[in-house]
Amino acid sequence: MAKQVLVTGLGIVSGIGISVQETLTSLLAEKSGIGAIKYLRTNHKDFPCSEVPLSDGQMSKMLSVPDNMPITRTSLMGILAARNSISDAKIIPDKSLRIGFISGTTVGGMEKSEQFYRDFLENDTCNDYIKIHDCGACTEVIADYFGGFSYVSTISTACSSSANAIVLGSNLIRLGLMDCVVAGGTECLTKFHLNGFKTLMILDKGNCRPFDAARAGLNLGEGAAYLVLESDESANARNADVLCKVSGYGNACDAYHQTASSPDGKGATLAMQNALVMSGLKPSDINYINAHGTGTINNDESEGTAIMNVFGNCIPPVSSTKAYTGHTTSASGSVEAVISILAMNEGFLPPNLNFKNPIEKLSFAPVRELIRNVKIDHVLSNSFGFGGNNTSIVFSKIQ
Amino acid sequence: MKVYIQGIGNISIQNTFRQTGFPEPVWYNESYVRCIDPDFTNYISPNEARRMSKVIKRAIASAKTCIAESSVEMPDAVISGTGLGCIEDTEKFLSAMIDNDEKFLQPTFFIQSTHNTISSQIAINLKCNNHNNTFVQGGISFECALFEAFILFADNKIKSALVGGYDEMTPSYFRILNRIGLWKKKFEGSGNLSNSTTPGTFAGEGSVSVMLSSAKNEKTYAAIEAVEILYQPENIVESIETFLSRNSKKTEDIDLVVMGMNGDVKNDAIYKTISADMFGAKAHAWYKNLSGEYFTSTGFGLWFAANCIKHKYVPSYAALNSHNAGKLQNVLLLNHYQNKNFSLILFSAC
Amino acid sequence: MDELILELKQEIIKVLNLQGVKPEDIDNDAPLFGDGLGLDSIDALELIVLLEKNYGIKLEDPGKGREIFGSINIFAKYISENRKK
Repeated sequence: MAKQVLVTGLGIVSGIGISVQETLTSLLAEKSGIGAIKYLRTNHKDFPCSEVPLSDGQMSKMLSVPDNMPITRTSLMGILAARNSISDAKIIPDKSLRIGFISGTTVGGMEKSEQFYRDFLENDTCNDYIKIHDCGACTEVIADYFGGFSYVSTISTACSSSANAIVLGSNLIRLGLMDCVVAGGTECLTKFHLNGFKTLMILDKGNCRPFDAARAGLNLGEGAAYLVLESDESANARNADVLCKVSGYGNACDAYHQTASSPDGKGATLAMQNALVMSGLKPSDINYINAHGTGTINNDESEGTAIMNVFGNCIPPVSSTKAYTGHTTSASGSVEAVISILAMNEGFLPPNLNFKNPIEKLSFAPVRELIRNVKIDHVLSNSFGFGGNNTSIVFSKIQ
Repeated sequence: MKVYIQGIGNISIQNTFRQTGFPEPVWYNESYVRCIDPDFTNYISPNEARRMSKVIKRAIASAKTCIAESSVEMPDAVISGTGLGCIEDTEKFLSAMIDNDEKFLQPTFFIQSTHNTISSQIAINLKCNNHNNTFVQGGISFECALFEAFILFADNKIKSALVGGYDEMTPSYFRILNRIGLWKKKFEGSGNLSNSTTPGTFAGEGSVSVMLSSAKNEKTYAAIEAVEILYQPENIVESIETFLSRNSKKTEDIDLVVMGMNGDVKNDAIYKTISADMFGAKAHAWYKNLSGEYFTSTGFGLWFAANCIKHKYVPSYAALNSHNAGKLQNVLLLNHYQNKNFSLILFSAC
Repeated sequence: MDELILELKQEIIKVLNLQGVKPEDIDNDAPLFGDGLGLDSIDALELIVLLEKNYGIKLEDPGKGREIFGSINIFAKYISENRKK
């Protein structure tokens, strides 16, 4: 008999705040984190981004990370968010508990490698950063800050990485292999990503406008978010406050193109359908969809088509919150999972900022303004990655 | 639970591709070696191949071969492990970005740099809309992928899974990893690795795809009974004992212990402890003298263990002692990465 | 113009790694995308980089690429009229 997967802690760091409370305040104040680049050193400052409003030094200080310790911004943000989630859950990672850490990330330690790559090739001055280049090493730096984890794993499925971390963590708990898993992801802004997305010509020089007819691309963001997932036995035994449960999820592959989403939204449709089937819910039970909604021509139309495929004539309120946080790439799955859970528990619909006119081919328009005092029992969060790695997760209120 | 190995595609620095059983070993005296590649045009059309780096071509070829060998047409899941993904294209994009001061960058190299492009291109090639995932956990990336497949089997979510480990060793990354002491300073040939008393190992690369199924057929290599991933275990010997007893096995039941030894004294010490404390009277073998060390070399280890079971012998050049491996009924594959990440895989003959 | 057309074909073959394709295989009037050479949206982005790098022409709108890359003749004409180097 599969166990219930409960969420007992949240932690989030993004351009709209470095704690759950700050994030909630920004969401309710309709305050976006997108603006001019401040921390990233790049020639392409003309692209607005959403940066975590802390320097590496400030984060190191907050976390008491020694000055001489080689660490990437991705790991620092990850520690900060994971620490928030762990203290929210009032849990202590310890070998007496079967507790795991699963993190999603895409370019790992690239933030340092792009600064030191010439040195890596030519001299020994930056060898400490070679060791923390790969994605797994980034996760281990975070896990080792806390200690006590008996299972550590890293997932890299582009922009659905952290959603897949939540899926794997949930599976480990459902099957009784772990008592508790801290799952999510972290990704700092890098020149590598900014230049990469620029070559794809999908960056908007203005603020992104997901689901708008005139949308012209995404804004990159950075962030980290983790959920503390826990079995009901473990949560009951320690009298933990339960925030919600993970009631279903689906992972499907679009198998269409390396970057483009299919016009019929096949992979996205399957991911949402699988999540609904697993949760035992009908489409009409979903009260809010937090869309992937990047603001690119291709994603929003394909995702919108998939939403129409799944929800037909009863499409629940939909919004993308990427105009708040920017596209936090691998972290977006867990960043938006936290936002979805906040919306559900606080009873509000976050608006799809910057939206003006609907996409002609779609039968729905996203949430235009903040709506409060809404009863949300079930929320669906979509995360879709390049290569068609699509994942949808349903979170539900504890009845 | 038993999951059956129905097919394996293995491109390595040995002549393993489309070989039945163990090929004649190839020994290397040079420290930087690349895979013995097949003719990819048999597996990939020129139009598909033009953007693919080596690691992706190999992944497609090994995936297709393993599917052809199995009786599964469309896997219920495609799960890959890779330490560094397409590092060749990552380096191209990174170098161009630095050299050209963030100008004139080519999108193809960026697209190919994402780790999940391997799993995703396998799915595109197979037109497979099912579960798709990519694990990037350093030296146990392959085992992490295998572990997830196991979870999905245990949950009755899937009846088959294409699991793979894919990594390439570019000249520059070889050089970079050399700086942090991964390779031997003075390499005395892959055939002499077992006598080594110095730090550092022998670099390799490879692409291994495995078709796992809940059903066995007449060609099945072996069954996998359990997979476990451990992070910083306090006492690895105890962890292995717990793992075996959880799977209703005693140390006496193990006929062969396949170990991820690689000739690096810092790496191999823990295996010697495990061996002395638990498996003194048992047959031991290794495979990294054949595959070289790379992030997903355990894929090669799986191929090795599965072939020992299927063909009922341990090649002499891979044996670490002279103990008899008996009927090769139960085989344990142990691997670790930097004494932090450990993996345990329990195989049995079927 | 013939010189530019040949140069362009050679560059396209090189940048897009069109294995086994020779310049004379590419029809000057045939569409480059879709059925013609079988190119896709990623190739269009590669050609936009080529335009900027080799000819100093900067395209901001990827949609415009589709018109310019209609055929080798259209492409060459556009370059000769707009090139900055």
